[in-house]
Parts: sequence; structure tokens; C-alpha cells
Amino acid sequence: MSYIEVKELSYSYNNKTNVLEDISINIEKGEWIAILGHNGSGKSTLAKALVGLLEPATGEIFIDGTLLNEDSAFEVRKKIGIVFQNPDNQFVGVTVRDDIAFGMENLCVPREEMLEKIKFFAKKVNMLDSLDKEPANLSGGQKQRVAIAGILAMQSDIIIFDEATSMLDPFSREELVKYIKTLHKDGLTIIMITHEINEALLADRILVMNKGKVYAFEETEVIMKKKEVFTDNHLELPVALDLANSLEENESHKEIRDKLWEYALIK
Amino acid sequence: MGIRFNQVSYDYSSFAQGLYTAIKDINLEITEKNEFIALVGHTGSGKSTLAKHMNALIFPTSGSLEIFGNIITSKRSKKIKYNSIRKKVGLVFQFPEYQLFEETVEKDIMFGPMNFKITRDEAKILAKEALNLVGLDDTYLTRNPYNLSGGEKKRVSIAGILAMDPDILVLDEPTSGLDPAGKRVLMNLFKDINEKTGKTIVIITHDMDLVYQYFNRVLVMNDSKLIYDGLPEQLFKEKDLYINHLDYPNTIKVLTYLNQKLNLNLNVYQKTNADALLEIKRAAKL
Repeated sequence: MSYIEVKELSYSYNNKTNVLEDISINIEKGEWIAILGHNGSGKSTLAKALVGLLEPATGEIFIDGTLLNEDSAFEVRKKIGIVFQNPDNQFVGVTVRDDIAFGMENLCVPREEMLEKIKFFAKKVNMLDSLDKEPANLSGGQKQRVAIAGILAMQSDIIIFDEATSMLDPFSREELVKYIKTLHKDGLTIIMITHEINEALLADRILVMNKGKVYAFEETEVIMKKKEVFTDNHLELPVALDLANSLEENESHKEIRDKLWEYALIK
Repeated sequence: MGIRFNQVSYDYSSFAQGLYTAIKDINLEITEKNEFIALVGHTGSGKSTLAKHMNALIFPTSGSLEIFGNIITSKRSKKIKYNSIRKKVGLVFQFPEYQLFEETVEKDIMFGPMNFKITRDEAKILAKEALNLVGLDDTYLTRNPYNLSGGEKKRVSIAGILAMDPDILVLDEPTSGLDPAGKRVLMNLFKDINEKTGKTIVIITHDMDLVYQYFNRVLVMNDSKLIYDGLPEQLFKEKDLYINHLDYPNTIKVLTYLNQKLNLNLNVYQKTNADALLEIKRAAKL
């Protein structure tokens, strides 16, 4: 059984049109998945369903073998954390320390253990010097890192990033992406919803959503070779691959085309 | 002259940090017609503070501003009609779609103009015109704003500002959160409004691809100071953007990589993929 299994999942907000329709996907432990799709394609709804924030109309979700339902939601949610788009919407603590503690408090972690964990995970996300800082004095990127520390402290090993970099400036974005790479190396399962094609390129596999359905779910390299995936879904190819595709298939262009592919797929 | 900053500085005072200088010694001129300006800079560099000065939402701590003939200093003046400045310079905040509150699109767009002593019927006409200007047809007038898509909400909220017919429009990251297609549609729309009506438009963005492709003037804020005001291409040539916590457009990055790996001697300053392709073919003599 895969680490995350979604079986014939459908969901509608008002019993009218399906926001999600017949989604069946498997995700393995330690994989990095990127989810691409137009606004309103159902990406965020799928993310909410995965963390048990929405109850599917039909279908089932298994996380590490456990069926997600009302009874299991509390246990399952420990395994899976979500970082949202707007850093200000998810900072609940008065200080960095409080914010990291929030999830653990709900799990009734003993105080001594909690204090140790706060330090440990603050260090992991490079925020140990800022434990007493208030959210007003943190950058967007720093707030997102604090959110990650809170998730790690609950010992979750699946993290969903729902456009978590989209409100950050290029520098903070780069920093956060670097950090996600280390989480991936540490063996965490990463699910990253993004409009940023260069970020999607870092994933092992890409899930393309279209009008609530799975349009494609394949290895990143495979998806990138299929032009129709991009034209059908109003996605833009990465600049390097668009150029590679536009160069004709003759020998003299091969070297350049190879380098363009190399550039696009640097991880 | 539309807006002129003379040695403008602004200090925030907060309990936690004490005094914090958000912008420092800014000198800047923005004409009231035909300009299309990008404003970039890292988080906390002072972009939004600068934008809030442009319609006198906040007053400088030191220095002065001239906005359509009104001199704005640190003290509120009884001679100045601040309301009229806000009509001339429209400011659209980040995620304006969160600010929609009326039950129909029409009422929401009418809210702004109704503050300026006009009749309901006049406001209705303005609302309809503004709605069309952002590329939505009349059927949207009776719809509930909450049932619109993210992109549509964004447009309705921008129409709300346009309905006040400002000469200058300032938008704080209007394209963030949109998919690539939605981003282009919105940028083309701004360019179109700029060309059709001559309104000056200032757009805060982090997207260097957009800066390169759409703008001919870019302002760069770094650590509270305005460190660049000029053509985008010149910026990419002159400044180390990484030091300034910014990034380069993708075309420049890709072509630079090819130069390094294959000694191609490409001119990396190409705005679009099509231009970049021609340059590669030229350099490879194929």
C-alpha cells in the first residue's frame, strides 16, 4: 500500500458542480509531488481533503494505511501538516516560541519535552535566535519557516505547501525552496501546490489538475516532454524548455538543446 | 506634474522595535499621464510605504510631497482637500478581493464614486464603464461578488477604483496568487488601460519577467532607499540584483547559462522567448 492513497474522491461545495471529480492517486513515502493547475482547478480543495479539513462526498483517503474519517482525523492530522499561502493567516502565537508550541499543546506534549522540541526545531529552520520575536517583526519567509517548525514538532512527515512561496519576494522564496529541499532529503513527503513552473521542476512527479480532475500524474521529466499538457492547461513551459522545443531537431542544435534541458532539470 | 517626492523620509514607531525608517530621502517624479512604472524591492524595502504616500494615505515624517499641486508635509493642512487627492490617485491594495463586501458587483463598484457627491444614476454609469474597462461584460453587474473566481474578484475590485476615474493608478502586487494565464491577462489589461486612457499606472511586483516584458521604467527600493530609477534593461546590466535580494528575468538566466557552458557569446538581454530563440540561432549560425 502507498503512503497516501486517494480512491475515487469527489467533492462539491454546494452539491452542485463537483470541485473534485473522481480523483485516484497514490503517493509514496518520501516523494516530492508538485500540483499544477489553473485557478479553480481544485488544487487547494484536494489539499484540504488530504488533511481532513473537508469531508469527501464520495471516495476514500488512506494516510499510511489509515482510512481518514471523523474518528481517525485527529490521529491522521498528526502525520500531515499544511503551510498556507498567506504567512499572516497561520501565525497563531504571540511569539515564535508560542507559535511552534501551538500544535504540541493540542497533543498534550509534556512541558519539558515541549521546551526541548521548540529549541530543536527552531534550530532546524534557522530561527533559534528569534524565539522571542513577535510576528510583526518577522519577514514572510521567516513566518513560513516558523509554520514548518510547528509542523515538524508534531512529528508530521508529510508537508503540504499550498502556494506557500507565492507571497514572498524572490530572495525569501529561494530560501524557502532551499529549505524544502533539505526536508525532502531528510525523507519527508512533500506536496507542493504552485503556479511557479520553476518550482514544480524540483519535484519527482507532477500532478496536473484541470477542472477538478486529474489531467496527468507522471514523472517530472515525462510531463515536461509533453507540450500538450501545457497548452491544454494554460500552463507556461519553463523558458529553457520552451527554447529547447523551438529549436529544430537537427544535430547542430542538439548540444544547445541538451544544455537547455540540463538547466531546466537542475535540482 | 502628478507626484513629486522631495527628500521624503518616513519613520514608523513601534513598541517592539522603536523607531524604524521605512523610506529614506526619496526624490522621485511621476508624471500624471502615460507612464507605466514597475516598483520592485525585497520584503520590507519600503515599496508599500512609498505607495501609501502617493495618495496621501500617510504623511512624510520629513521632506515633502507635491501631489497634483497640493504640498503634503508631516502636518495635516486644512487648506488641502485630501479626499480629492484620493480621487486623483487610486490605490489598490494587495489582495483587494478580500475587501469586496456588497451583495452585487454593481453596488461594490459604485461604493467608491458615491463618496464624491454624484447621483446614484451617475454612479451606475461609472460602474458599468469601469466593469467593461477591466474586461467583464454587463451580466456581471447583478452577480454576487462572492461567487466569482479569484481572477474575476480581483478585476471587480480594480474596477471599484477605476470607477473613481483616477489620473494615476497604484497597484500593490495585483498579479500575486494568479495562474500564469491569469497574470498575463491582467497585465495586458493594465497596459491596455494605460494606452487607451493615458492614465499613469504604477505596479508593485516581484516578477522580473513581467518587469522586463511590460515596463519601460522601473523603480528599485532597497533598505528604505530608492537605488534605481530607469530602464529595466539598464538595471539588469548595471546592478547586482542578487545583492539587492532580487532576481533576473528567466531569459537572461537561461542565456547566461548557455554562454557559460558552451561559450556561445550570446547577447543575453532578450525580453521574450521568441527574441531569445532568434539570438540562439544567430549565435549558433544556423
